[in-house]
Amino acid sequence: MTILKLPPRCYQGVTPALIATCAADGTPNVTYLSQVFSLDDRHVALSCQFFNKTKQNVLENPYASVQLYDPVSFEAYLLELRFERAETTGPLFESMKLRIEAIASHTGMTGVFKLISSDVYEVLSCTKLDAYLELSSIEIGSKAEPLAGPRSELRGLQLLSQRLCRVGRLDELLGTLLQTLEEAFGFEHSMVLLADETGQRLYTVGSRGYGEQGIGAEVKLGEGLIGTVAAQGKLLRVSGIEDELRYGRAIRAAVNQSAGRRELRPEIALAGLPDAQSHMALPLVSGERLLGVLAVESRKRLGFDDWDEAFLEIVANQVAVSLDNVLLREQGEDDQTGSQPPAAKPVKPSDQRTLRFRFFRNDDCVFAGDDYLIRNVPGRILWKILRAYHDSGRTEFSNRELRLDPWLGLPAVRDNLESRLVLLRKRLEQKCPELSLVSTARGHFRLEARCQLQLEESDGS
Amino acid sequence: MAVRLSEELAEFVEGGLSMLVGTRDAAMRPKVDRAVGTFVGADRQTITIYLNKELGAQAVANLEDNGTLAVTVSRPYDHRSLQLKGQMLSMREGTEEDRAKQERWLTGFVEHLYIVGLPRSVVRQLKVYPSVAVTMRIDDLFEQSPGPGAGRRFEAGSTA
Repeated sequence: MTILKLPPRCYQGVTPALIATCAADGTPNVTYLSQVFSLDDRHVALSCQFFNKTKQNVLENPYASVQLYDPVSFEAYLLELRFERAETTGPLFESMKLRIEAIASHTGMTGVFKLISSDVYEVLSCTKLDAYLELSSIEIGSKAEPLAGPRSELRGLQLLSQRLCRVGRLDELLGTLLQTLEEAFGFEHSMVLLADETGQRLYTVGSRGYGEQGIGAEVKLGEGLIGTVAAQGKLLRVSGIEDELRYGRAIRAAVNQSAGRRELRPEIALAGLPDAQSHMALPLVSGERLLGVLAVESRKRLGFDDWDEAFLEIVANQVAVSLDNVLLREQGEDDQTGSQPPAAKPVKPSDQRTLRFRFFRNDDCVFAGDDYLIRNVPGRILWKILRAYHDSGRTEFSNRELRLDPWLGLPAVRDNLESRLVLLRKRLEQKCPELSLVSTARGHFRLEARCQLQLEESDGS
Repeated sequence: MAVRLSEELAEFVEGGLSMLVGTRDAAMRPKVDRAVGTFVGADRQTITIYLNKELGAQAVANLEDNGTLAVTVSRPYDHRSLQLKGQMLSMREGTEEDRAKQERWLTGFVEHLYIVGLPRSVVRQLKVYPSVAVTMRIDDLFEQSPGPGAGRRFEAGSTA
């Protein structure tokens, strides 16, 4: 018997599915399902997150009755299922776990809200429930179909690959990538995060569609959707994000109230759209190394589908290769002694206003006036430059001397210096326009200060 | 022995929420349905739910066979949920009076789903009539909000 094929969006978990089971004593049980995965024409997998009544029932009596919804047209389908097996390892389990852990981590529920098993069911029958809605809502469904087809996306890939081949510097690469994602594919909200030298954190080095928000924002490896993608090195797509987060928060509230209360980490604010409904994050990997994460968001409930996943993976791979090349090339060229900085021209502050900068040694944090500016490696770089300028009037600096300064703590290879400078420049543009770092030759830059500086250092903030 | 809903829970159940119905046949095969409307009996020991008559044919057959059913009531925006289990007391065709009650339920349901992002125009399409009204005796009450406490039986404090 062939099983009716449902639109893939029915499996995206946007509109929760319903499940009824029956205990051995004949008592029915009915509840929601957070996730239904389509495995093949004859099988689906359901996530088991708690050993609940549903699971207990199917172990006694394997039959289940499930209603699934098309989240666009709201049409309903009835599936008769028979429990086959529970998987606790393997690719199916891993991919379901990734999604659940991302949501768990995002709501501060790691360890509480977790996948126990992927439960595989045979599909005995699948019927569309025609009498569910008053009118056929086919028109509603078809309106939401994407207008663009494979051809337009192939052209987009062509354009992106042409442009990426021609970029020479990291900031060009980031600008070109995010601009092309919008122009060629319609992704209006995107960002790139790079892994720092510890490999334990990612920092946002480029973004588009968020105004000034988010540059320099950090994400710990394994935390939130982006951190989970970075930790697992696997693409993650979440639709109807609000619903799943709401589900996570409902569980969180239940745990907070339960007698066995435990410490929950505070919820991490998602860097990005406050009302994002769909989110996709892709790891940027070169060889075995994680370079960073490319993340796109949408306000549409079903912003991204299987097709977006396929071509964005090609984009991510191309970006990873380009990124690796740009970073290596810049470091290699900086280390050659050939290029010399131009003769230093004294730059006079254009006004006599004094701006106070403070450096907090305990967390390498720099404040301009009362505003937080930057921390960690870029914070130390800025402080080194400001000190040199303040103490001896120096304005010309080279990447090479930064690399050789042990205080900055850059690793000997793959130091990410260029990305830290890109981030530092953007933060200065946004938060402290009185200062700028201007490229003078490859591997050389000049500090231009349009005010007097007053520097203070202290141990704590 | 029947359980009595507290006034607060009775109000919750009648709040235009999402309602799931589970029944089973003689061979212990379960069937899931959505209820399209409900009201709580005056003594708060019974509730009446409505099924879409055409879609509910299997549920009606199951109830005629053994009368056992489970009803989960759930508020979409925070997933607060309650499961009622019990035995059917009576079943009849829905009347025009019932239909008015169902329409009121649908108005509330449309608003609840609108809060979580479903367009009113889409949810409004839900077919509620012709219907079957099923009155059940509440024998058991369970906390069903997602999480480790799901499935917990309500303590005496929640019933009266």
